[in-house]
Amino acid sequence: MRRTGLLLSSALVAVIGLCGTAAAQERAVIIKGFGAKSGVVRSFGINSEAAMRAAADAINSQGGVKLGDGTIGKIDVEFLDDRCTAEEGISVVRRIAAGPALVAIGPGCSNVAEPLFGVLQRKAGDASDSGLQFPIFTDVAIKGGLAKISEWAFRNVPSEIDMYNALFTWLKTKNPELKTIFAGVEENFAHSRASWYAVMKEAAPKVGLEVKGEAKWLLEDTNFAQQVREIKAASPDILAIAAHPFTTCGVLKEMRRQGVKVKLLVGLTSSSSMETLQGCAREAEGIVIPTSFAPVTKEAEAAAAQAAKFNGSLDLHSAAAYENIFILKKVIEEQGVLAKPDTVQADREKIRKGLAALKETDGLLGKSKRTEDREAVKPYMYVHAKDGKWAVLFNPLTN
Amino acid sequence: MGFVDYVQAIIDGLLFGTTYSLIGIGFTLVFGVMHKINMSYAAASLAGAYCGLIGPQMLGLPPWSVFPLSIVAAGVIGYVIYLTCFRFIPLASPLATLMSTVGMLLLVDEIVVHATAGMPQNYPAIYDGDPIELGPFILRADLVGVFLICVVAMAVLLALLYRTRLGMATRAVAQQPVAAQLCGMRLQAVNGLTFVVAGLLGGVAGAMIGASVGMLSPLIAGTITVKGLIVTVIGGLGSIPGAIVAGLLVGAAENLFQAVRNVTERDIYVMLLLFAFLVLRPGGLFAAARGRD
Amino acid sequence: MDFYYSLAQIIGFHALLGLSAYVVLLTGQVSLAQAGFFAIGAYVAAMFTVLAGWHLVPAMLAAGLAAAAMACIVGFPALRVRGLMLVIATLAFGEAVRLFFFNFDYQVAKGEVKVGPLGGEGFRQIRWFPEHGWTGLDVMLFVWTVVALVAGALWWLDRSRFGAVLRAVGEDELAAQSVGLNLTAVKVTAMTIGGFIAGLGGAIYAHYTTHIEHSNFGVLLATFAIAYPILGGLRNVLGTIVAVIFVQGFLVEGLRFLGDWRNLLFGALIVLAMNLRPNGLIDAATARRLARLFGREARRA
Repeated sequence: MRRTGLLLSSALVAVIGLCGTAAAQERAVIIKGFGAKSGVVRSFGINSEAAMRAAADAINSQGGVKLGDGTIGKIDVEFLDDRCTAEEGISVVRRIAAGPALVAIGPGCSNVAEPLFGVLQRKAGDASDSGLQFPIFTDVAIKGGLAKISEWAFRNVPSEIDMYNALFTWLKTKNPELKTIFAGVEENFAHSRASWYAVMKEAAPKVGLEVKGEAKWLLEDTNFAQQVREIKAASPDILAIAAHPFTTCGVLKEMRRQGVKVKLLVGLTSSSSMETLQGCAREAEGIVIPTSFAPVTKEAEAAAAQAAKFNGSLDLHSAAAYENIFILKKVIEEQGVLAKPDTVQADREKIRKGLAALKETDGLLGKSKRTEDREAVKPYMYVHAKDGKWAVLFNPLTN
Repeated sequence: MGFVDYVQAIIDGLLFGTTYSLIGIGFTLVFGVMHKINMSYAAASLAGAYCGLIGPQMLGLPPWSVFPLSIVAAGVIGYVIYLTCFRFIPLASPLATLMSTVGMLLLVDEIVVHATAGMPQNYPAIYDGDPIELGPFILRADLVGVFLICVVAMAVLLALLYRTRLGMATRAVAQQPVAAQLCGMRLQAVNGLTFVVAGLLGGVAGAMIGASVGMLSPLIAGTITVKGLIVTVIGGLGSIPGAIVAGLLVGAAENLFQAVRNVTERDIYVMLLLFAFLVLRPGGLFAAARGRD
Repeated sequence: MDFYYSLAQIIGFHALLGLSAYVVLLTGQVSLAQAGFFAIGAYVAAMFTVLAGWHLVPAMLAAGLAAAAMACIVGFPALRVRGLMLVIATLAFGEAVRLFFFNFDYQVAKGEVKVGPLGGEGFRQIRWFPEHGWTGLDVMLFVWTVVALVAGALWWLDRSRFGAVLRAVGEDELAAQSVGLNLTAVKVTAMTIGGFIAGLGGAIYAHYTTHIEHSNFGVLLATFAIAYPILGGLRNVLGTIVAVIFVQGFLVEGLRFLGDWRNLLFGALIVLAMNLRPNGLIDAATARRLARLFGREARRA
């Protein structure tokens, strides 16, 4: 009984402790990050958190944010783990919304973003809709067209349609001998599916590439003998792999075993991270991936060094987290956000309006456009795996 | 898809099924001795394989060192699991050990995630040369090697169980724990040793899974656990040869369904077939004679 | 406050999931199919509210009935297997249900957008609560009314003759059979009741998250379903609810202040709990003490 008592009382203490954690400090501008720091996607959370902290640190050390009444605000970032599950993601955001935070940056997983955006009010100011009224500015979750679910949802993720359209056009002009394309798709992952069926499969025929079909597997599959045989039978010039690093590597390794070669490999934008090189640097050699980040500008290099200080690495996902903090700083200053305890809801509304009004934002690689449905059109470039590192293959910005 | 393709699909599946067999043997061994299921077994085996990577990645040892290191590490983890999930929980609460090992599965997986940030890790193959060609068919040479290792592991295990004093004690405890104790056998010591042996075997399994997939990721722990359990029950609880045959069968069946239908429907048929099999043949392929419940 | 209402909702539908496994566990069957029934409830209820425009309550009842019907059908063949074999057989069935939804497309044009389940992409915009202006408090009260009704019904059932029958089958099938109990009827009934409760839970879950996809209903969820009654103890329904609060309120949300340690402690604390209380957080002795605490004479143990 004593043990039960102890267990129950410690549970109670913890539950009560939930409320008192973040008492408002004077003129701190509280921005919360959230994403997965457990499970297979842990590296995403670590990198996003590091990027946000690095950006906040950079802003605070350069004089902070100018608030609506002239006082200086300091950005205070905290990152919460949502384990990449819908329930926890919603719970985390409701917790954040119940506190003094003005806006949240996240989540990492599209399968969290989609339900989460559904919980938000669909049309801002619609009194008949009791959805949550809290601005979310997504950095990582990339599945196409999610922000249109709610007017409180904003994203700063690359538009895959633009990137792959441009990549295929460039590849075709550069290597006119490439004629056919075949794909490998991770069927049970919504983002990977969309990247092939809705993006690449549409983009390829426009530049005259013949689509020869696709081989399919699942996210956690380990045996790719059959799929690689299908690739071999199709013998395409280009193989597009719309899959995450684990199965991308699995397929590439099986291709090497079976001695299947293609002229060019194209990868999923999310795979242009350290994960792929960690898993199969040798087999991934030469794979071309369009990405919205590489340390090619002075700002980008500095930001990457900053993030490294906070034990994370900047990649296409976490770079967006870094940019988001700076975009939010600008919005806060333009909209005259007060960041006072009694103006929290008004400040959130101001941030929502400010984000919605943006036509263009500054990023680490250059300017991004904002679209009507609250998405970004970000600058991008093509990288390829070379000697176990990602190297820039072509940068449309400088050429 | 022609006949040759289907046969090839079955061959691929059979070969890859050996990794399922290895995990199945470990599940079945613990079940045979303690009549309990260790849900964390597959995750712990993979954790052993992860530990093996410390050799080449951190200590600068040659790539082959992962294999012995994995096996030893998994043996140690096996004993830790015995201590934390079985030793102090009364025998009469089978549900409690089911749950404690589920907790352990989650813990082991999360430790691996923390150590690697969830990123896939490259794992050396046992043989990296060309595949074997048999007429129109191709066999993955490394998987043939894994199959041989699987058979050797089974032979060693059976020899251990039927030719040594430890084996005799283990079987005695499995059959009549009270009588075994009356004869002066130390129940806890025998049970603990069983976990170490199962753990060592798990290390072999984990290393072979890593070697045949070419990578380790926390993603596979769940799949391998489910596959291992399926193999264990199809083979018949406690039957080691049964686990081997069942592993091959499961591997072949899923590849055949994938070839005939497609990958998104593949597992539906595997699961329905399994359900039907269990209902029609509740004892599994090689059911051991029913002792106590 | 909204956060606590939301947390209470999570605890609510997990409690229903746990209670569905509790009923089945009373008869000694460990079923990993509960996540499958939960999924059926989620999809059926969401299709009725989103596609057919029903009110949530009838949609929930339909969801419960659909899941119950499926549970009843599965109950018959599943009777033939026991112990670990049953665990795997039900796991296979639950996975088959999940994979069915992975391959299930049924979309209807509504205005300019198409709504409905779309295989691997999931089923989005299940927004009955916000569209009808329900606040967090309203939803929480609704969820807990359902939980209270179900828990109350099970409490009463536990004390009735039928409850004794369930437990008799769970304790010793052979003895139960030899005193003339119809094992088939008892087990299938328990399975059906469990299916109904899981269906209700799934219906609430779908409307809580507003978006469902097959991967939400995997083996992990099925494991949690049986974890709640095992962690809580089979003494009475309170055990299951306490276990849900322990897992969702304490391990998941309560330990959040520990940051990175939280996800490590999750598994470790489950192991510890089972070592300290192998018969559940609320075992026979605790139940007696609780009864005394409420001033009632301790019942026969």
